[in-house]
Amino acid sequence: MIEVENLTKRYRDRVAIDALNFTVAKGEILGFLGPNGAGKSTTMKILTGFLPPTSGRAKIAGFDIFENPLEAKRRIGYLPETPPLYPEMSVRGYLAFVARLKGLGGAKVKSEIDRVCAAVGLVPEIDRLILNLSKGYRQRVGIAQALLGDPPLLILDEPTEGLDPKQRAEVLGMIKGLGGRHTVILSTHILPEVKAICEKVLIIHRGKIVAHDAIGAAAFEQGLDETFIRLTAE
Amino acid sequence: MRNILTIARKELSIYFTTPWGWIGGAAMAFISSFFFIFFLNSFKEVQDKAKIKGWANMDPDLAQMRNLTDGVIVNLFGWLLIVTLLIAPFLAMRLFAEERRQKTIELLFTVPVRTIEIVLGKYLGGVGAICATLGVTVVYPIILGIFGASQSGSALEWSTVALGYGALLLWGAVCMGVGMFISALTESQMLAAVLTLVVLLLWTVVGALAPSAEEPWRSAIRYVAFDTQLQNLMSGVLDLKAIVFFVSIILLSVLFTHRAVEAQRWT
Ligand SMILES: Nc1ncnc2c1ncn2[C@@H]1O[C@H](COP(=O)(O)OP(=O)(O)OP(=O)(O)O)[C@@H](O)[C@H]1O
Ligand SMILES: [Mg+2]
Repeated sequence: MIEVENLTKRYRDRVAIDALNFTVAKGEILGFLGPNGAGKSTTMKILTGFLPPTSGRAKIAGFDIFENPLEAKRRIGYLPETPPLYPEMSVRGYLAFVARLKGLGGAKVKSEIDRVCAAVGLVPEIDRLILNLSKGYRQRVGIAQALLGDPPLLILDEPTEGLDPKQRAEVLGMIKGLGGRHTVILSTHILPEVKAICEKVLIIHRGKIVAHDAIGAAAFEQGLDETFIRLTAE
Repeated sequence: MRNILTIARKELSIYFTTPWGWIGGAAMAFISSFFFIFFLNSFKEVQDKAKIKGWANMDPDLAQMRNLTDGVIVNLFGWLLIVTLLIAPFLAMRLFAEERRQKTIELLFTVPVRTIEIVLGKYLGGVGAICATLGVTVVYPIILGIFGASQSGSALEWSTVALGYGALLLWGAVCMGVGMFISALTESQMLAAVLTLVVLLLWTVVGALAPSAEEPWRSAIRYVAFDTQLQNLMSGVLDLKAIVFFVSIILLSVLFTHRAVEAQRWT
């Protein structure tokens, strides 16, 4: 589903990611880990076509994200680090706007809004202005937006950030349910979440991959926490 | 095309849920009603005087006061141009600056929509907001049409009124284009508004420099000044050269905005 080849991004003289190579198979749920500033968000911004890489290539479902951006973007649902919300809009108005941009039309817009709102527990807040929502509810609107149109690939940058424990469990359960039919990449700093729902783990440190394996593999034998700390030390 | 309309609709709906859209409309209504009443009063004064002295004995400068269209509406349009110049920067400022500050630009660039569709959608929404603001002022010609009178049939020359509105809208669209481009250069709405205001004002009055310049600069400055082009257009004749000039500025603004927005992703 995702093929990344020598992907490098420099911000002026700072190297954010350095020649990443990896693939993600269809149906896989990948936990994307790394300390602050490791380059997780940068990688996701490139995969979704928001940022052009300095060099290297990324393909989504066989479509190069820079040569064939529309085809690639049609297959991606993306939750950026900061949920991209318009505070002046109502939840419903905002979701309808995103749904139309994703190419949905007519009755499909409404049914999709109902579906994603139910999935992230937004139904009671659906007619409120985003401005008036709490942080956790804004995060839910961000997730709902990514789910619209049921894209085969979901790229979620810290999706559980700001959610209460109950909602966190629900969102994780929902993401886990997406596996198989959908491919998911999610970044997080909460390792138990990764253990709970991810089949594979990719750890980056200072823009380089330090581990990429199935969660049960030998690399993580000492436990995910131990391994993470050891690999990202110094 | 569908994406353009979706984005334009969103822009328009945000104008009417934030104060700026309403402030613009209210400012337009307030200032224009002031000038409308002012011109109506002076029109009446001149008419009353003319009734006593006869038009032949009046100052020739007052000749435009012989009919409502020239005496009130065309004068009013002159001021609406200035009000539009003052309001447009505040309607244009949020177009891109605010998307970048709120990071919603990340949404627009990761849905399957082309950059040019985003730019055109935003531009269309902005022009829609200008139209709505100017729409407030159509009550004045309507009032005159209903209550006014003239010696020769209809109280107003509707063709002149229509042409005047065409010119006003074109001018509003030009201001919006310049404002959108400047909004694409910064993350601060206020900076964008102030810069746009300065650019539009300087661009309008730059014609004043023409007399002190050497040829060929003199004609060039005269040609690019908004002032010169507007005068031609507002005199009530269909000036094709001025229309071509303004339409080119709109096209260039859209093109430059597209370039600016694309270029920022590479930094
Ligand atoms: N717009 C930018 N300009 C310059 N440098 C940047 C920019 N965005 C990110 N960086 C740098 O790139 C590196 C990677 O940042 P990135 O946001 O990808 O990290 P991250 O893994 O998502 O971290 P976190 O866990 O804190 O979210 C950091 O060193 C950061 O300072
Ligand atoms: Mg991050």
